[in-house]
Amino acid sequence: MTALDIGGIMLAAMLLLIWLGMHVGVALSLLSVVGVWLMRDNFVLATKFLALSAYDAIANHIFGVVPLFVLMGLLISMSDIGRDMFQVANRPLRRMPGGLGVATVAANAVFAAITGISIASAAVFTKVAIPEMLKLGYTARFATGVVAGSSVLGMLIPPSLLLIVYGFLAETSIGALFIAGIIPGLLLSLAFAALIFVLATRFPAFVGAPGAVARKVTDTGPQVGYLSMVPVVGLIVLVLGGIYGGFFTPTEAGAVGALGALLLALARGRRKAARAGVKDYWQVLIETGHVTVSICFLLIAASIYTRMLGLAGIPQHLVGLVESAELGFAAFIALYVVLILVMGTVLDSTSIMLVVLPLVLPIAQSFGVDLVWFGIVTVLAVEIGLLTPPLGIAVYVIKSTLNDPSVRLGDIFAGAAPFAAIMLIVLLLIILFPWLSLALL
Amino acid sequence: MPPEGQPPPEGTGSEAAGRVARGLLRAIVVLNALGGVWIAALMLLINADVISREALTAPIRGVPELVALSIVGIVFLQLAHTLWSGRITRSDSLLGRLMRTQPAIGHGLDALFHLAGAAVMAVLFWASLPYFQRAFDEGDYVGALGDFTAPTWPVRLIILIGSGATALTFLALTGRAASRAFRRSPP
Repeated sequence: MTALDIGGIMLAAMLLLIWLGMHVGVALSLLSVVGVWLMRDNFVLATKFLALSAYDAIANHIFGVVPLFVLMGLLISMSDIGRDMFQVANRPLRRMPGGLGVATVAANAVFAAITGISIASAAVFTKVAIPEMLKLGYTARFATGVVAGSSVLGMLIPPSLLLIVYGFLAETSIGALFIAGIIPGLLLSLAFAALIFVLATRFPAFVGAPGAVARKVTDTGPQVGYLSMVPVVGLIVLVLGGIYGGFFTPTEAGAVGALGALLLALARGRRKAARAGVKDYWQVLIETGHVTVSICFLLIAASIYTRMLGLAGIPQHLVGLVESAELGFAAFIALYVVLILVMGTVLDSTSIMLVVLPLVLPIAQSFGVDLVWFGIVTVLAVEIGLLTPPLGIAVYVIKSTLNDPSVRLGDIFAGAAPFAAIMLIVLLLIILFPWLSLALL
Repeated sequence: MPPEGQPPPEGTGSEAAGRVARGLLRAIVVLNALGGVWIAALMLLINADVISREALTAPIRGVPELVALSIVGIVFLQLAHTLWSGRITRSDSLLGRLMRTQPAIGHGLDALFHLAGAAVMAVLFWASLPYFQRAFDEGDYVGALGDFTAPTWPVRLIILIGSGATALTFLALTGRAASRAFRRSPP
């Protein structure tokens, strides 16, 4: 057997084991070690690869961004700031058709500029926005769909955990990826808002008939002044502006943002009669650790997997295949997006990128594409999987956070479907007009 | 994904196994807490560096090197507890269905997967030993002599502790899954 055969068999076995439910990191490391062992007939060398990956793959200053941005997002999620954002966005919008839906999108877009995890957005806005929308007569299907759809903004608008992971895998500047995510994120927000407006005016049965109620209700809770947003917006400007202006490395921006988020949370805790106790802060710290570990463990596995693939010569082989098939660039991108959408039915976002990118990046480079643009395309395609069955994680998070048996999983998937369709259109636009992601760089 | 605290393994048979499992759990909770404190310290350290650099034009020496070492330290301190909490990424829709419809096969497969995890971690432990030894004996460091240096052996030691604890945790979870696989399914 040639090295190429062994590599191919290992790759197929990995996919099978991951599908069966083996931990993704374990499957990648185990079969990579076995693959290197078989190819080189040297067990000690293979284990050395593993030990090297465990240290070298993550012993880098830049990996500080993972825990720090996660910490920042979780602190803000804990501190009820999402509710204020929603209330503020509500004030000017509540009387227009679908106004609360648009407010949810707007609040989510701002929230996304602080948090890098879509599921954090989904959890927060399930609690904040869905009860309000149901109260005003929106259908559960529409209300949950809006929250599911707009939660994907969390991963597109910087900071974004998926862009960070992509940056590691593609050895691309994380700062540049963050900046490139801004326009596509805003474009997607606008497209969502437009979709909601059209749904509310043309398909009132899907949305519900909140117009009559909304006009009567003038106030659904404590009014939150526009000025209360100043600290949060200040934090966003500081963090993203700091990266854009070159004052901070992304790691430093994460640390400054996390400290700022901590101060904001503490300040609010004082006003609202000790809303969060020491225990809650400790829980946030532990949760931050768990998210960091699960990502870094995958990155370690991805590092040894990439080494194994390289040793087997699989990436070069694929580049050769693509060249000899005279596959055009358009066909390549189309196949790539389809591949990711299909994998999205089985795997979570990070794992998809981990498995696919080491194989596809060499091909993309052989076409001479801009890797920053390719990153935005990848993340957007991967994120569509958050909304589509059977594995739409955003949908499951909403279901479990809502904890209301009358809202079925199928309802939420149905509600999210129009938003997934809009994402696909925006993805096409970004593919067709690369300047949408590259203009600010 | 909500954090799912898993109860300690039950029905693994003897009292001794239960005691060992509880001891292991206590150990990984402590390691996890140390990692949590380390994250907070890392955040403060970087902020101190930024402030000191911008305000006093005197950056703190060695922060990038310390950040790099810290990430490795944090990850390996918290790896075992993350596994215990069921937060290591896996695609469990198919396995979940198997566990409901064919408990013996589903849990048996789950036991095998955890055993594979234990094997990977044991190999990592074994392969990392020489790196620790060399770092300790030869005093490997990061940074530049005369400016800032930090020894690498403490982090190499944490890799050993973390991979060892994670291997044992994988084994404990293997035992639990196996005991579920062999349990008579209720009529």
